[in-house]
Amino acid sequence: MGHKQRKPAAELGLLDATMIGMGAMIGAGIFVLTGLAAEIAGPAAILVFTLNGAVTAFTGLSYAELASAVPKSGGGYAFARETFDDVVSFMMGWMLWFAYMIAGALYALGFAPNFLELLHVYGFVPPLDAVGAIALPVVSATVPAKAGLAFIAVLCLVALNAVSTAASGSVETVFTIVKIAILLVFVAFGFLSATGGGETSFTFQNFDPLFPGDDSAFSILPALGLTFIAFEGYDLITTITEEVENPRENIPKAIFASLGATVVIYVLVVVVAIGTLGAPGLAEAGEAGIARAATSFMPADIPIIQNGGAVIVFGAVFSTMTALNAVVIASSRVAFSMGREGQLIQSIGQLHHRFGTPFVAILTSAVVMLGSVVLPTKSAGNMSSLFFLLSFIIVNGAVIKLRRERPNMNRPYEMPYYPVPPLLGILLNLVLTGVLITYLLQTDQLALLLTGGWILLGGIAYYALEWARSSDSETPSSEDTIDQPGVETGVTSKEGGN
Amino acid sequence: MAPLRTVIAGGGRVGKRTAELLDERGHDLVVIENDAETVAELSDEYFATVIEGDATRPSVLSQARLDRANVVAALTARTGTNLAICMAANHLEPAVETVMRTERSVGDEYDGLVDGVIFPETAGARAAANAIERDVRTLQAVTGTLDMMEITVADQAPVAGKSLTDVALPRGSLVVSAADGHRIAGSETVLEPGHTYIVAVESDVSDEVMNLMRGL
Repeated sequence: MGHKQRKPAAELGLLDATMIGMGAMIGAGIFVLTGLAAEIAGPAAILVFTLNGAVTAFTGLSYAELASAVPKSGGGYAFARETFDDVVSFMMGWMLWFAYMIAGALYALGFAPNFLELLHVYGFVPPLDAVGAIALPVVSATVPAKAGLAFIAVLCLVALNAVSTAASGSVETVFTIVKIAILLVFVAFGFLSATGGGETSFTFQNFDPLFPGDDSAFSILPALGLTFIAFEGYDLITTITEEVENPRENIPKAIFASLGATVVIYVLVVVVAIGTLGAPGLAEAGEAGIARAATSFMPADIPIIQNGGAVIVFGAVFSTMTALNAVVIASSRVAFSMGREGQLIQSIGQLHHRFGTPFVAILTSAVVMLGSVVLPTKSAGNMSSLFFLLSFIIVNGAVIKLRRERPNMNRPYEMPYYPVPPLLGILLNLVLTGVLITYLLQTDQLALLLTGGWILLGGIAYYALEWARSSDSETPSSEDTIDQPGVETGVTSKEGGN
Repeated sequence: MAPLRTVIAGGGRVGKRTAELLDERGHDLVVIENDAETVAELSDEYFATVIEGDATRPSVLSQARLDRANVVAALTARTGTNLAICMAANHLEPAVETVMRTERSVGDEYDGLVDGVIFPETAGARAAANAIERDVRTLQAVTGTLDMMEITVADQAPVAGKSLTDVALPRGSLVVSAADGHRIAGSETVLEPGHTYIVAVESDVSDEVMNLMRGL
C-alpha cells in the first residue's frame, strides 16, 4: 500500500497531566512575571502569588467538577459549549483562544531577554541593556532584538507543531521535571547564600517594609491581575482530557496537585529572589529577574558551565520555550474545537491530510501570536490575564447553570460546599477584572483598546458566520441529516444490522 | 459536517457499545441511565455525559438538551419503554430523529412512529452462527477491535480529491477498496468526494480517520 502512516497519540497518566498543568504555570510565569510583580508590589509580591493561588483555587474546583462530568477535550470552551447557548459559548472560545495566543506572545517575549542573558553569561553578546537592535541583512533593516527573537521563537514552534504531532504529549513531563529541578537548585543556593555575607546574600531585611513607600495593602491588587495568567494551567489540563487515562479521577487530582505544587514553588522562588536581589533590583531586571538574581549568588567556579547562574538562565530559556510550545498547542486546540463545533470556519476544525495536525488552526493562531510580539511584555501579560479572568467567570457560571438545569447529570467529582466556591470564584474574578481594567485605564490604554477590539471582532465574526451559514442553507445542498432515515448516513459499519 | 449529537437512553450492553462506537467516530454523546452501578461504569469509560435517571420522565429526558440533539436512540431492553422515550422525545423536540430497539423482529410496524428500528439480536445470532459453522463468516465475526467500515468521503473533508500518495492516514488504518468497491485500493487511488470506500480501522484511530474522511 502506497500511503505513509503516522503514530497515533499516546495515553497520558496522572503525572503527565499534572506536569502539563505545572509546565504552563511554572514555566514562563515565574521567570517572566516575578520581576514585573516586584515592580508593582515590592516585597509583597510573595503575597501576590499566594493570593492568586487562593483565588484560582475556587475556579479550580469548578474545572475539576466540569472535567469529570463533561468528557470532552477543549478546556473551558468545551464546558461552555455544553452549558450555554451559541453566543456565550462562541465568546468563551473566542476569548480563551485569544488568551492563549497572547500568552504565547508573552512567553516569547520572556524567552528573548533570557536567551540574550544566556548568551551574555558566556560572553557572546554585550549585557542585555546594550543590545538595542540586531541587524537583519536580508531585509536590510533593524528590528528590536527582543521582538525579533520572540518572533523567531514563535515561528519555530509553530512550524514544528504544524507539521508534526511529536511536540505534544508526554515529552512535556520530562521538560517540566527539569524546570522544577532547576528552580529547586535556585531556591537551595539562595537560602544557602544567607551565610555567605556578600552583598546579594539572602536576608529577610529585604522584606521590610513589606508594602513599599506609602502604599497600602491595596496597591498589590494590580499585580494580582497582571500575574493571574500564571495560574492558567488547569485550563490547559482540560484541553487534553480525552488523552488522559482514567480521566474522571485523574483530571481533578491533576488540577489540585498542579495548583498546590505551583503555589509552593512560586512562593519559594519569589522569597529567594527578593531576599537576595531585593525588590527594586528584581524589578529593574524585569523579565530576566530570576536569571539576574541567580547570577548574583550562584557559585561561579563550576567546571564546564563556569557560572552556576547559567544553569538558572538556561532554566529560564528552556521554561519559556516549553511554555510557548504548550500554548501554541493549546491555542490551536481551542480553535480546532470551535471549528469542529461549527463555530469557526470548517477548515479550522480539520486535520491536515498529510501531517495529521490541526494545521489551519495552528496557522491562524500563529498570525495573532506573531503580530503580538511587538507589544510590550506587560501589555501582553495584562491582556492575557484579563481574558483568562473573563473566561474563568464563565466557567464558574457553567457549574451553577448545570447544577440548576441538569440536577441528574452524573458528576463523578462534586465540589464541596456548593454553591460557595463558584460564587466566590465569580466574585473574586470580577473584582480582579475591575482592578485590572482600572489599572489599564491609567497605565496601558493600548492593551485595553486591543482587548475591546478583539471582543468586537468576535462579535463581527460570529454574525458573519451566522449569515454565511443561513445563506448557505437556503441553497439546497446535498448534505445529509434530518430527513434521511439512517442515523449516520456517511458511515456504514460492515457488521450488518437487523 | 459537524459532529452528530446523539442521546442514548439506556446505557446497558447495547447502549454502552453504541455510545462507544459513535464516540470513536468523533460524535458527541449523552447517555441516560437509571441504574447507579451502570452510571459509574459509564463515567469510568469517559465517552459521554451521563444523566442519572428514568429516561421516560420528560424532566430527565430534557436534561439531555434535546434542542441540540440530532438523534435520540432508545436502547433499553424493553420495547414499550423505548417507544415511550421516542414519543416523549418527539413531543419535546419535533425535529429530533428517533431510533428504537425492539425485543423481537417487528417488520415495519413502527415505521410511522419512529425513524429507525433495530433488533440487535439478529447481529448476535449471526455471530453465533458464524461461531458454529467456521468456514463461512461474515466480516463482523472475524474482526476484534478492528472495524471494517464503508465511509463516504464528504465534500469538505481534508482528504477529498487527494490520492492516497498525498494522504497520510494514521497507523492502524487502511483503505481497502477503491471507489465504490470494484478494485483494491492502490497508491494512485483518489479519494473522490461522494464516493464510498471500505476502510479497515483500529478503534483508537477511528476518530482521526473520521476527521480526515468525513471532515468532522
